[in-house]
Amino acid sequence: MVSLRPLLQRRCLCTKLHDKWSVKQVMKSNFAESLEEIKTRISDSDFIAVSLQKTGSFSAPWQRVLPFDTAETAYCKAKYAAEKFQLLQFAVCPFTISDSKLVAHPYNFLLFPRDEMNIGMPSYSFSCQTSYLASMAQEGFDFNACIYDGISYLSRVQESAAKVRIGNPTAITYQMNSSSTPTVADAVFVERIKSRIKNWKNSCKSSNSRTDDPLVSTLRKLITASEFYGSRPSMSVDVCSERQVQLVLEMLREFSDELVPLIIPGKSGGTQAVRVVLTSSKEDKNFFETELHCQEEEQNKKVRGFREVIDLISASQKPVVSHNSLNDFTFIHSKFIGPLPPNIDEFASSLRLVFPVVLDVSYLMQIIGPLRKVTNIPVAISYLNNHFFAPVDIEIPHQATENEGKLHGYNVVRICHLFAKLCSVLKIPHSSTVSDNEVLPPALEECTNVFNEFSTSTRRIDEDVKVWTKNTRKVSCEQLVLLWGFRSGTTAGKLKSMLHRSHDVFSEEFDVRLVDKSCAIVVFWQPGLSTIFLDVMNGKEVFGALKEMISEGLRAVSFEAYKKVCRLGIWEADLTESMVRAMDEDPDYLVEANPETKLREIYWSSHDSMINLDEL
Amino acid sequence: MNRHRPARALSRALSRALTPLSFSSSSASSSSSSSLSSFPLKHVTRSNFEAALAELRGHVRAADFVAIDLEMTGVTSAPWRDSFEFDRSDVRYLKVRDSAEKFAVVQFGVCPFRWDSSKNSFVAHPHNFYVFPRQELSVDGPSYEFLCQTASIDFLAKYQFDFNACIREGISYLSKRQEDEAFRHLNLAFEDESSVIWSRLKEVRNIPLVSMPDILFSERMKNRFIEWRDRLLLPQNGRFQFQDRTSDFKQFETIFFKMRPALSLNGFTSHQLKLVQLVVKEHFKDLSYVHFEGENSILQQLIVYTESKDDKDLLMKEVKNDHRRQAETKIQAAVGFRHVIDLLSSEKKLIVGHNCFLDIAQIYSKFIGPLPLAAEELASSVNKYFPHIIDTKILLNANHILQQRIKKSKTSLSSAFALLCPHLALSNINTGLPSHSYLSVEVEVDDLRSCNWNSGAKHEAGYDAFMTGCIFAQACSHLGIDFKIQLPSENLAYNERLQKQINLLYLSWTNGDVIDLSTGKKVTESLGSNILKKQYPKIVFENIVLLWGFPSGLKAREIRECITKVFGPTSVTSVYHLDETAVFVQFMKAEMVSDFLLLKEKLEKSDGPISVLHPLAKLLEGGSTHAASYETYKEICGSSISKHLFADQAEVFGIRWKTKLVESKAALDGEENGSLGKENSTMRTAAKAAHKTKHGVVDNLRDNSLCDQIIHSIYAAEDSQLRTTN
Repeated sequence: MVSLRPLLQRRCLCTKLHDKWSVKQVMKSNFAESLEEIKTRISDSDFIAVSLQKTGSFSAPWQRVLPFDTAETAYCKAKYAAEKFQLLQFAVCPFTISDSKLVAHPYNFLLFPRDEMNIGMPSYSFSCQTSYLASMAQEGFDFNACIYDGISYLSRVQESAAKVRIGNPTAITYQMNSSSTPTVADAVFVERIKSRIKNWKNSCKSSNSRTDDPLVSTLRKLITASEFYGSRPSMSVDVCSERQVQLVLEMLREFSDELVPLIIPGKSGGTQAVRVVLTSSKEDKNFFETELHCQEEEQNKKVRGFREVIDLISASQKPVVSHNSLNDFTFIHSKFIGPLPPNIDEFASSLRLVFPVVLDVSYLMQIIGPLRKVTNIPVAISYLNNHFFAPVDIEIPHQATENEGKLHGYNVVRICHLFAKLCSVLKIPHSSTVSDNEVLPPALEECTNVFNEFSTSTRRIDEDVKVWTKNTRKVSCEQLVLLWGFRSGTTAGKLKSMLHRSHDVFSEEFDVRLVDKSCAIVVFWQPGLSTIFLDVMNGKEVFGALKEMISEGLRAVSFEAYKKVCRLGIWEADLTESMVRAMDEDPDYLVEANPETKLREIYWSSHDSMINLDEL
Repeated sequence: MNRHRPARALSRALSRALTPLSFSSSSASSSSSSSLSSFPLKHVTRSNFEAALAELRGHVRAADFVAIDLEMTGVTSAPWRDSFEFDRSDVRYLKVRDSAEKFAVVQFGVCPFRWDSSKNSFVAHPHNFYVFPRQELSVDGPSYEFLCQTASIDFLAKYQFDFNACIREGISYLSKRQEDEAFRHLNLAFEDESSVIWSRLKEVRNIPLVSMPDILFSERMKNRFIEWRDRLLLPQNGRFQFQDRTSDFKQFETIFFKMRPALSLNGFTSHQLKLVQLVVKEHFKDLSYVHFEGENSILQQLIVYTESKDDKDLLMKEVKNDHRRQAETKIQAAVGFRHVIDLLSSEKKLIVGHNCFLDIAQIYSKFIGPLPLAAEELASSVNKYFPHIIDTKILLNANHILQQRIKKSKTSLSSAFALLCPHLALSNINTGLPSHSYLSVEVEVDDLRSCNWNSGAKHEAGYDAFMTGCIFAQACSHLGIDFKIQLPSENLAYNERLQKQINLLYLSWTNGDVIDLSTGKKVTESLGSNILKKQYPKIVFENIVLLWGFPSGLKAREIRECITKVFGPTSVTSVYHLDETAVFVQFMKAEMVSDFLLLKEKLEKSDGPISVLHPLAKLLEGGSTHAASYETYKEICGSSISKHLFADQAEVFGIRWKTKLVESKAALDGEENGSLGKENSTMRTAAKAAHKTKHGVVDNLRDNSLCDQIIHSIYAAEDSQLRTTN
């Protein structure tokens, strides 16, 4: 499978030796060579594992992806984090599995969003969570290396914007259609340009033999707008529209054996001018064109930076394995593809175009042990070791690098390892099937592109949420109510007993969890009760303990309001504050569609408690 | 050029780069660069902080003044928050506030200067503190977070800033507010008698033991404790038998805890400890489960024997007090770098900074508390903590003598240093300057004095603070303050020659807006002869319309054309890009603002052919063009969110309307009181000023492409001429 095996092989038979795993560290200085190397590795591999090191993941406790998040709200949270934080390390590991042998080629790329082209990209600023940096520091991460010598990048979308901004001339690649009939104005324009070009061409040819007074030649240059492109004479033709560009190009075909047209892009898109370069012969022209092509490639490489690796992975169309796919791929999309779409469906379809198959080890773990959420890969591996017999022999044929003391990116090897074990446990047939016909085994097919680790259904984006992590029970969003305005320092248990005493709806089974210190979520196990409760909260006829609590500030809203907070991206430090703001922003939102339970003026007169009950 | 100043740091970088020798010895090594620095500088990280602080106390106490400088992770959180000519002073403050709240301080330079009369020279003690906002106390709530401006980080990297030292070894801190908050939490936790939060032990619920291993374990523990207790109570020679039968079994160790025999538990899992707790609670009245933090903050679990119920209560009380003391010590320790700020504040020394309003705002926000909403409030609060602050930039610009010294009006830190103190900047090189007019400065680090060092030490906060102090000392000398006859007891802060400039800071260097910290008032360009050349016509904020969300790629020239077609060729004074999605349009008259907004709204409401053919249609194309008065810009600047593009920001900020009409002035005054009053007065003065300086309408379009082309062609011509002549 791997034909080029370096002489020095490192074999590690067990995970305990993982500190001997050699992960190739890639920085700006050795990026070019590594890129060539990884190119072949990727094309020889069956899978590619990725692992990302971010500068943070959530700003407030409730902004984590929580067990009760739907796919949609989880995506909103992941999107917010991906836009805010930065990637400092990106580990890529092309690997193959055959029988119980895993052959991996781990690379760890250090990234820094340096503005290499001086165009304010890829990132004007980014956030850092100090705890993330501190724990990276503890692991011995070299921030100096990362910032001084990290590889920069541009996303696909940024690249096309940058091309305009950098304003490098580009050779013509597209075919022109000369369908539209020329007008008189066009004809005049073409004639004028044609004669200018002829004059210029002649003067260029003749001036070779003549030595001019410098001033005269300067003036001539100024008048004919002639200049040099490299060593070749060139001349710019200003254009006012794309139509004129076409006309000029068409006219230039007449001189196609000597002249090469280049498009000079305008500062804000479009074309500013056509530059005509005079070559001395047919051979020279061909030479010039290949030269241009190379230049462009070189430039592109510089612009794309690390994204070349992403493009290679994408071009290979191989399955990509990650640990926390929603978080990782929102980051990848926002940094290397383009701005994140507003909802998860669009995200999934946009991502599928780039990475057709994404596999999440957390999801695969769930198939084995449904109650286990993988927070930690070593733990997952040891769980598998304890419960299943699935020996995996890891082989990393990299040559050992000298600075082995400070290596990072082991996590990606662990992901490979875990994945290999999972495949063996789940009896997923190995690489042969994958590489032969490019179709995943059906078992894996089931598990691709699942972005909500909490929802059980695979493809369908489910409105149902699973509530508590232990002892999972499925409930519909409609059975959930968010509560706030209780006394600070109240525990979930206290709140539950207070609620239990407050009203009849709480005589049936229900549960309470704190989302953060000021907001709680209540699940009514019996459908319909949440509606009754919200009705009670908004109605006049409240009495007893509940009235007491309401007068102290207790508020309740349906889960819809929470979804709205996430959708609108109101990320305050406290969920309560976000909820209140979402209500403030659009007080009518809930009233309009709510003609039956017309809201009565309640004495605390706040629209916080306006809930659309019909929609539930 | 001010428009293109992305960060103060960057402009400083340029000026530094211009100082010829500044680069010479910057070492290429990153990790050990500090040791290679030829300029003596005391680097302080958390490992030597305690000692350095103790030493610094003495230096500050003895000092005549203390110079400071800060390095931050960034300055501007979004391009549209950059400092513009179009910044009204209140908006400028909001921008500074945003910057101070979002970015972290990573280095803090403190340099006390003391006049040594025996040597007729100043002695400076430059300290370079690495600071990092590590979260030392575990409090729930929002995580510690800060923003990095990529350009600023890259700039720091260019000057070999040691990020590893900063993140790994940086000194953390708590602001006054955070400290108070932490103590409040502590008190709450300890006051509540019933609560056991303080012990950080979760109440063990009586979970029925189900699993066989658990039952067996509990049983074994129970027997073990009974055995231990019984042996304690055996009157064997009146002594406890310390040597256990199972001494090889290191899980248990008999020790004394608060004069009571105790069994220390080692090597148990948290689950096992929970079971132990249950066993003790259920079966032993005379044993208590206690934990405390031992050396190296290792948590120790103990089973303590108590003779009676009273004794038990007493023990618990003692333990509780211990816990409290420990928690307090922890908070004290977490205060960290703020001790330096407290020191500067309590000593009431003259603080010297260079263009230091942002530095002061940073200090306030990081070490005191959240920044207030208006600059005036900040001024009075700062004045309480630091009664004497002087800004060398103000000093240099205010005084004629000094201005003459600095011929080209370059007042950036390093150029001022090079011009005022060439003997220090270019030491070791015989400058041939008459040395008597220059003050000599010696640097003392760790009791080692040197008056000879290589200049061009790395540009770190400590060195910048040193330069600032030297500039100040030299400036004082030029102002006629003679340190030789100055009595040691005399406070420099009260020197009459400095009274005009003390506590004045530039709110905005670009506009010459100055704030007086002792009065809280804004002083607009009252400072002497100012050298600020106004390239732009005076800005009248009432005449400004803020436009955003127009079709992308629309240039300033096109926007002007659209508007002048309707309001007349001279109606628009200037069009200024905030970023690619937003512009300020300054009209000739304030009425035009409301007219324009009205017209825009009208056009958007009607769908008829008139609105399509209207000259403004080009501007409104796409249907998401928003317009409002300057006040909206202020509101948006006050928001804590920072989106990269202004149009996105406005949307996230929650603007749902398309046009915000300007109400009549009276209504506006009535509606928003307080701070607006002051703004109006500044607006009025600005308006008056504009009236006076009526030197025509200068077209200041930024992307006037025609103009660009002309310039380009001229350059090109020159260029080619050069080539040919060569």
